[in-house]
Formats: sequence, structure tokens, C-alpha cells
Amino acid sequence: MAETYPINIWINEDRFDKLQKAGLEGLTVEMLAGLKVLRVPTNDAQRDEILKIFPMAKYDSATTKSIELLPKAVKDKIFDMIVSKKSLEIMDDFIKSVKK
Amino acid sequence: MEMIGHGGKEIIERILSKDAALKRLAELKAAKVKTIDVRLQLATEVIDLAYGFFSPLEGFMTKADVESVCNNITLADGKTVWSIPIIFDISEEELKKSGIKQYDEILLTYTGNPLAIMDITDVFTFDKKELAMKVYGTTEEKHPGVKRTYQYQDKFLGGKITLINPPKINAPYTPFWLTPRQMRARFKEKGWERVVNHQTRNVPHTGHEWLCKGAWLQTYAELPIEKPLVGVLVNAIIGEKRVGDYIDESIILTHDRLRTAGYFGEHNHMTTCTLWDMRYAGPREAVFHAALRTNLGCSHHMYGRDHAGVGSYYGPYDAHHMLAKVRDGLSITPTYSMNWLYCPHCGEITSEGICDHKKEWQKFSGTVVRSIIIDGVKPPRLIYRPEVFDVIMETADKYGFGSAFVTEDYLKRRTPVFTIEPLG
Repeated sequence: MAETYPINIWINEDRFDKLQKAGLEGLTVEMLAGLKVLRVPTNDAQRDEILKIFPMAKYDSATTKSIELLPKAVKDKIFDMIVSKKSLEIMDDFIKSVKK
Repeated sequence: MEMIGHGGKEIIERILSKDAALKRLAELKAAKVKTIDVRLQLATEVIDLAYGFFSPLEGFMTKADVESVCNNITLADGKTVWSIPIIFDISEEELKKSGIKQYDEILLTYTGNPLAIMDITDVFTFDKKELAMKVYGTTEEKHPGVKRTYQYQDKFLGGKITLINPPKINAPYTPFWLTPRQMRARFKEKGWERVVNHQTRNVPHTGHEWLCKGAWLQTYAELPIEKPLVGVLVNAIIGEKRVGDYIDESIILTHDRLRTAGYFGEHNHMTTCTLWDMRYAGPREAVFHAALRTNLGCSHHMYGRDHAGVGSYYGPYDAHHMLAKVRDGLSITPTYSMNWLYCPHCGEITSEGICDHKKEWQKFSGTVVRSIIIDGVKPPRLIYRPEVFDVIMETADKYGFGSAFVTEDYLKRRTPVFTIEPLG
């Protein structure tokens, strides 16, 4: 399986409710003392594209191997797209939507 | 508590009373002395010098001091350990235009208002590249300390300063800015025989909290436990910010919240701030912190990995090695700390030097913590105390224009930490 570079979306009660309604709650994992996170996969081309579109974001190659520091509004949009499509495979559509 | 500071010298405040200041100002104006309106960094350092934060320095360094600091990590006396040049730069053009020369007495203003008198004892030049290499170990401009050095003008003035107009410290910093003499008086009131300093430019997660608790235990050591004798001083460095840093208001108010929410108490915890633009000089900044916190009255100082560094310029324990090298010239005891982390097996915050569930460790990544804060998702209390997290969110709204991290907007619109008002 090709390597992925996840975007961590931290899950509070509100987000967890939405995931449950979409039947996706089983996709969360626990990090840091039980804090739930949804790890949204990106491939290397998508990762590079995301870092280009959102220069404040950072790929943390040293510790977490994930894309971090995306603004909350961006993560909200990614999260809403996942819930609406009931799938984590949304990055191509997301990138297209922000490029518009 | 005695008023003996770094280098074994008494902490002297070089400040005139209001009446004396008004009289001197009138005399200076009558004599038409030369005036320089200084930028924020220099105004900050004038204040630090005047109150004894940089004791035994009483003014900006002369060339002999700068050379000795660069080459020997001491002042020109060859004995007093000092690691960072404290220098007053001026352009060749301004120097010529003003006619300032050695042995002049000049008036320093900030934002147009009188600030201090400076007695010029030296006018000199210094190779900035050499200074960068010796202090920062690199000449690369992407190092923020080197960048600052290259931005200095080409001439330097050395000499003692006397403050004539104390700063007005603005909210919310007002109760947290104490002078070295005031801090020592406060420690005495609390009955603290030892004080361990925590250097910070972060908002505290539980890893930071346990760093302080561990250092408090280390510092307590053999002292009797019938009454509280040891305190943690959180001394936040407040100064020039970079985009992405935590905002100053969040840093100071979250640390204080650890005390008011009961994770510490009045008997063992105090938050204050020092005005200083971080140089990110790693090991040399660690030595500077030792001198500074000695002046504040601390007996001990926490040092973890990568103290005050930036990027990959310094090894994780370079600061510890340099502190060991100059140990005889310091009167503060370093307390070294390993990383604190969360272990799900133990179900608690623990030290990597204690816990052996290495494969299960969940380390505090600065990036992940920032990511959680940006999402605004309240973490478990084992990671962030709920009261602390609430203060992060409140300060983001109240002071950070919606962000707990410095933005361009914050840099333009923030309330200054201090102002110098008209004298009169």
C-alpha cells in the first residue's frame, strides 16, 4: 500500500455525532490520552498540492508524519465533505473545490 | 532576601525619582543635549538595564565588553560570565548628523517621550559577521539572532544609562511585571528559601506542568517540609514575536491559571514576565537566562532539551554542556529535566526517564498540540487542564483577534506591553 500523509481532524462531541450519523465513527483512532482523531489520508501528490494551496500548513516529517496547522475553516470543510460523501476518499474533490 | 545578583554584585536600580528626573530633564533641555528616539528593542533593554535585570551591567556594552563576551563568554573584567552582547546601535549617518561623541551625555526618548539619560563612554564598530559566528555559531541569516545582528546599524554606543521615566505596563501584563528587587521581596514574603525558574514561551500543557512539578521536587531536595520553602517562578519572556508564536497574553494568563485553578498554589507558584527579545542563541541564551534569573532572585533554573534554540543549529544538550563549562561563574543551580509524556499503560503523565512502556508512549508534539488548539477541540484533562484550555480560547478572542497564535494582524494591532508617557 502506498504511503499516506494524513490530515488530523480532532474530534469533539459535535463532530463525533456527525460521524455517527454518517456511520463513520469507527474510522476514528485515539491519540493523546483518548482524544479522538480522524486521520484523512492524502497521497504524495495531494500532500504537495495541499501544502502549496495552504502555505501556513506544515508536513511534520519528524514526529507525527502528518499534515498539520491547516486553518480550522479548512478542516471544517474537509470534515463536512467526508460526512456528506460518507467516505475518507475525498481529497481530490476537496482540492478541486478549493482551486475553483 | 539579599539584593546580590549575578556576578556577586548588588542589584542597583539606575532610576531617578520624578522630581529629580524633571529637574535633570529641564537641565538637559537647557543645555540642548543631543537626543535619540530609540526603537522598541533598545527601549526595552534600557528598562531592563535600569531595573537590574541585566546586573551587573549598568548600561550598554563597550567594545571591550563585546569582544570579551564574544571570545571568552565573560565581561571585560575577565571574571563575570556573560554570553549575549547588549549593544546600542546607531547609523553612521545619525552619528554624524547628531554630532554624538565619546563622553557626551545624551537624552534617549521612546515614541517621542523622555526615557533615559545615557553617558557615552565608547563609540565603536564591530564586525557583525564575527559577532554572529561567535554568539550564534553560524552566519546564516535564516537564524533569527543572526538576522537581528545583521540588521543592526554599523556603529555602536557604549555607556551607562539612567532611567528618568518609568514605563507604564499595560493590561493584562500589569500584575506580572515585577522588577528584580520586587520579585525578591515577594519571595521573601512567601518564605521561599529556594526558587526554581521556568523559562517559557509556550502555553502550558500537562507536560510543561509536570516539568515544573518535577523541578520543584528536585529543588526541594533536603529542605524541611513542615512549611512551604520552595517556589516555581514562571518567568515568561515577552518581546518581539514571530508569526505562529503563541500570543503573549495567552502565555502569561494560562500559566497563571495553573495556579488559580489549584494545580499549583500561592504557596509554591508565581508567574511574572521579563521584557526581552529572544535571540534563540541556544547554549548562550541558556547562560544568559542563568544570569537573568539569578538577578530575579532564583536559586535554581530548569533546563530541558533544546533550550532556547531554533531549527537544528544546536544539539539537544549543547546548553547543558555550556552551562557546565561556565558553572563556576554562575550562582544558580541548573535542574535538568528529561521529557515528560503521556503513557496510556500507566494512565498518567510520566518522565521518559522513569517509565519503561516505551512502545506505548504518546509524546507531546508541539505541532500536534497546536493543531488541536487551532481546531478548538478541548483535549482530555490529562493533556490540557480544562481551565487552561478555556483561557487559551478566551485570550484568542480577547487579544489575538480570534487566534491564539501570532498573525500579521496581531502584530499590527496588538496593545503594546508598555508605553512611555510624557514626563511631567
